[in-house]
Amino acid sequence: MRPAASILLLTTLTGFAFGLLAWIGAYAVLGLLPTMPRLAITGVAVGLLLASLGLAASMLHLGRMERAWRALSQWRSSWLSREGVCALLIYPVAILFAITLRSGHDRVAVRLLGALVVITSLATVLCTAMIYASLRPIRQWHNSHTAPGYLIYAVFSGALLFALLHTALVGKPGATDLIAAAAAAIAWLAKCAYWRHVDTQTPLASLAAAIGSPEDVQVKPLDAPHFTENYVLREMGFALARRHAAKLRRMALVLAFALPLGLTLIASMEIAPLAATAAALACAAIGLLTERWLFFAEATHVAALYYGRRV
Amino acid sequence: MTMLPDAAPGAKRLGLVIDLDTCVGCHACAVSCKEWNGGGKFGPLPDYDKQGPEPDGVWFNRVHSYEVGADDCSRTVNLPRSCLHCENALCVTVCPTGASYKRAEDGIVLVDPEICIGCKLCSWACPYGAREFDEEEGVMRKCTLCVDRIYDRNLPEAEREPACVAACPTRARHFGDLADPESGVSKLVAARGGKSLLEGLGYRPTNQYLPPRRATIPAAPREATSGTGEGFGGALLRLLDRALSR
Repeated sequence: MRPAASILLLTTLTGFAFGLLAWIGAYAVLGLLPTMPRLAITGVAVGLLLASLGLAASMLHLGRMERAWRALSQWRSSWLSREGVCALLIYPVAILFAITLRSGHDRVAVRLLGALVVITSLATVLCTAMIYASLRPIRQWHNSHTAPGYLIYAVFSGALLFALLHTALVGKPGATDLIAAAAAAIAWLAKCAYWRHVDTQTPLASLAAAIGSPEDVQVKPLDAPHFTENYVLREMGFALARRHAAKLRRMALVLAFALPLGLTLIASMEIAPLAATAAALACAAIGLLTERWLFFAEATHVAALYYGRRV
Repeated sequence: MTMLPDAAPGAKRLGLVIDLDTCVGCHACAVSCKEWNGGGKFGPLPDYDKQGPEPDGVWFNRVHSYEVGADDCSRTVNLPRSCLHCENALCVTVCPTGASYKRAEDGIVLVDPEICIGCKLCSWACPYGAREFDEEEGVMRKCTLCVDRIYDRNLPEAEREPACVAACPTRARHFGDLADPESGVSKLVAARGGKSLLEGLGYRPTNQYLPPRRATIPAAPREATSGTGEGFGGALLRLLDRALSR
């Protein structure tokens, strides 16, 4: 599948944004937010800003941007529609949460709204993941790893952002760095498990099945319908050399998970905590973009079978 | 509405039955489709770099050719590929806007170009690669089963069939109601063992493909390209062959 920059930005940025909002909400529910609400309010602002940037990037993917509002209508059947509805729900919920927190009186309301922030944030990430997980023609997406994976990467990237804000605004590094380190380790394992899974999958279908022939009959492509590329080949026939994929996978693992894991551990030992956490965040951003690029570039679509591609 | 319609009692399931035994891969169906839909209700269908080195454009129908069978007795099978108007059309349910829909009355899957936002998700959901994006209008395009032809009362009844069916010189394409077991297309499917493409994916396509008939005449051994015959005639033929092979 062709990795479109708009979608890579959308899924990565909203991962950071909704992951951060989920951590702030969870801290509020547990009553762990520091007495000064500055951290939570700044976090909500940063989260909503990043989410807005991601959603704006996704608009660039549309052929008819001015009709984007129509995408909110089919939530009964479409995960993309559900993603849009959930993403828009977060804004009033998170803003109300921040206002309630600032007034600082009603602790029950803060906890309730915190829980709502967690639910809407993670639900949006889940909807995003389900867009891909529900697509049967793409075996690398339509599997049991996709949805948990997206949630784990969002929770991990949000934990990093939360750790950085915590170090910058509260000062002394606390459990947030250790939480981010643990999340990095879990995300690392999840990505490795995903790759192991897709590498051992059997092809979704054979060319024989694609043309309605019995499976035991040998079918070879002879002539394509057209000599130049078309939409189907550009969009669904994107192929990545295995050699490049292996190199990019290593790069993604190191940048997205290994370096942030090490750097957050260093930060938790109070060795240049702000610089270390900021560096961890920068590495993770590049690493997760690489990981997301691979998620698309390594995905094969069954329609490419008709053109003699392996899927 | 992008929920799939419930099957109404007596509803039609209009579709195509394509005979892979008689299709000669002439692309007349694809060209005729492009011609009709380029100018009809759903036109124009865009073309990019028309006279340039990389011509490209939206086509609803693409004809592939394959070599089927082992090397010594293989045959060419031509496969016209277009929307199969699936019963379980995931291209419809993934649509976030309601632009993609499946008609309850005849099962035709359509895109409303006035509503489509061009998110391309439907094309990802289709395992047959049947949907193509219109870069000029920013909306998705697909086979309409010539819905602007098959119901046109201004046309003589015999002509109320999709343009691809009308154009086929070998009558390899058949149009009809596959929900009616007594229809011509249903009888063809029953008699010839019609097949669905990519049956295992569970889209339950309406269009069916009739498999190539098994060849009953054993293939004659290949003729040698040169060196046949003895004596003067053979020598002359070899000379002629060498001269023509230059």
